[in-house]
Amino acid sequence: MSMTRAACGMLCALSITLAAGARAADPKPADPKPAAKKLKACFIYVGPVGDLGWSNAHDEARRLAEKALPGLETQFVEAVPEAQGLPVIDRLVKSGCKVVFTTSFGYMDHTVEAAKKYPDVVFAHATGFKRAPNLATYMADFYQVYYLNGLMAGALTKSGKVGYVAAFPIPELKRHISAFALGVTAARPGAVVNVKWINSWFSPQKAREAAEALMVEGNDVLAFTEDTATVVQVAARKKVPSFSHYSPMHRFAPDFVVSGQLVHWEKIYIDFLGKVQSGAYAAGKLKDVDYWWLLREGAVELGAQPGMAINPKHVDALKKAQMTVGGKQVPVHDRVMELLKDMSSPDPKFDPFTGPLKDRNGAERVPAGRRMSVEELNSMQWVAPGVMGPVADEPK
Amino acid sequence: MTQELLAAVVRALSLGAPLLLAALGAIVNERAGVVNLGIEGMMALGALAAFAVAVEGNSAALAIAAALAVGTAAALVHAVVTLTVVANSYVSGLALAMLGAGVAGLLGRRYEGIPLLDPVTEEPFLVAAGLLAVGLWGFFQFTRPGLVLRSVGESPAAADALGVRVMAVRYGAVAFGGALSGLAGAFLSLAYRPAWTDGMTGGMGWIAVALVIFVGWHPLRAVLGSTFFGLLYYLQFRLQDQGRIPVEVFGAMPYLLVIAALAVSGLRKARGSAPAALGVPYRRGER
Repeated sequence: MSMTRAACGMLCALSITLAAGARAADPKPADPKPAAKKLKACFIYVGPVGDLGWSNAHDEARRLAEKALPGLETQFVEAVPEAQGLPVIDRLVKSGCKVVFTTSFGYMDHTVEAAKKYPDVVFAHATGFKRAPNLATYMADFYQVYYLNGLMAGALTKSGKVGYVAAFPIPELKRHISAFALGVTAARPGAVVNVKWINSWFSPQKAREAAEALMVEGNDVLAFTEDTATVVQVAARKKVPSFSHYSPMHRFAPDFVVSGQLVHWEKIYIDFLGKVQSGAYAAGKLKDVDYWWLLREGAVELGAQPGMAINPKHVDALKKAQMTVGGKQVPVHDRVMELLKDMSSPDPKFDPFTGPLKDRNGAERVPAGRRMSVEELNSMQWVAPGVMGPVADEPK
Repeated sequence: MTQELLAAVVRALSLGAPLLLAALGAIVNERAGVVNLGIEGMMALGALAAFAVAVEGNSAALAIAAALAVGTAAALVHAVVTLTVVANSYVSGLALAMLGAGVAGLLGRRYEGIPLLDPVTEEPFLVAAGLLAVGLWGFFQFTRPGLVLRSVGESPAAADALGVRVMAVRYGAVAFGGALSGLAGAFLSLAYRPAWTDGMTGGMGWIAVALVIFVGWHPLRAVLGSTFFGLLYYLQFRLQDQGRIPVEVFGAMPYLLVIAALAVSGLRKARGSAPAALGVPYRRGER
């Protein structure tokens, strides 16, 4: 009996150690470079770094920042459950981190607490809205890119139905799906965006079945928010064009991916850490530091692969497709490139969320001539006309 | 309408295939009296092995062989722990589920984000799963080895007295269960969604565990059960905008049905169709 117990005990312990080893802490000290100003920045990721999604993109950015900034040393802890934020921050601060990035919305309250506890450490929290003298916030947002993808989706749909596999009905997704739908209906008046919610950031099975259901219902172009390339692969099997999300997914379906959205967190990290090194940012100076970076700052990019805004295989179709802009017929391709150039310029003339805008129930949301503020975009609960299907927490 | 129905059946079979394969494997080891809750872990290992071999070796046959082998090997660990060391099989199975998923996640890092450009078609898996179900039914129903396997699950002491090598049969049954879990994983990473991602089995192993109970350890009923579970999964998305039934009901249905099935057999004051010696370790000479 004792042997039984010992064996079980060993096996259980082994399994827990191994499982933890696979997912949890894997701190990797970088070699310190001979540098002007030494600085140790640490990153907390909610997922594993190999997930081809959210955390992976932050880790790529961390490495690029380390290359770009001499004297910068970085460390990261991956797969940290959101409720474990504070203990991990404690550990990182003890190990000498002077800057701590918490890269998921769910770390918000723990980061606020940590900022109080360690007033000399600089904190920055991604996607949140709570700041402190030593706590900044930052976000790279896709809504402009979604509008451009919507234009292309509207141009390519034959049935007038575009499918969207969506993670959670939160403001971020409502903003993105609305921008996408505004694009779709601008290129193809009367077209609709059918949304299926999978209530998960990561679920290949749900993403596939939702995509299959959308295709059965006659949607002939697909877009999505989920952390794998499942939708892209499933669409390609039925020869349906799709738009990739977040990570480079062109290689998963080189013939059928049209475009998509890509993130460049390194633009924010390099800027922020550069300013910490120079002393422009320090604990006590961050109360109003909120990065809301878009195409203009290069924090996001149009495309399914860096450097390729539109898959060349779809350029001809997009040049043939016409849309009406200010009473004139323009090829959709040219409109996309024109707006991309404009929104990437220092002073964009165009913004998808410029009034007059009504929600899908007909209520006016943005008066003529006004643009939505960052705050409004961040708390958006309504959705744009053209979005079909149930949407939780929608104002009546 | 016909098209709609056809599409639903295709989805049900496609998502049902990995459930069916894993459940058939579990039916075999449970009919021999050994519980193995580690399906999720063996599936993950099988999925990774298949994908890695498919990418490196470019051969679907080798990839499937690798998944079968890795599933078997993982199950044999469970067999040693539960049969030879005689540790608690539920704990060992849980450990295997976590261990398998963790190890697959760790070893699979270099395969993240790589597409399988030449995916395997799903149909051969569906046909194989169907044939296996019929074959296993015939095996249990009409063959002497099938009878021997069941006797080991019902009354190992009696089987032992009749000269059956209980240990050998149980080892074989557990290995077979592992192989089929591995095959279910191969289906996921080669055909269903041709890529490897940590966590891609997404709880399907646990649904398979539930399915075995739901279908009363019967291979043919497992075909219907897996298809039904597959259909429910698909319908939670297909019926999402119809607004009549909250779709969460469909997602939770497999578990609700299993609880219902357990309750019904409990009310009947019977163990249902569960093998009498399921989960009971056997040591010769002990009562």
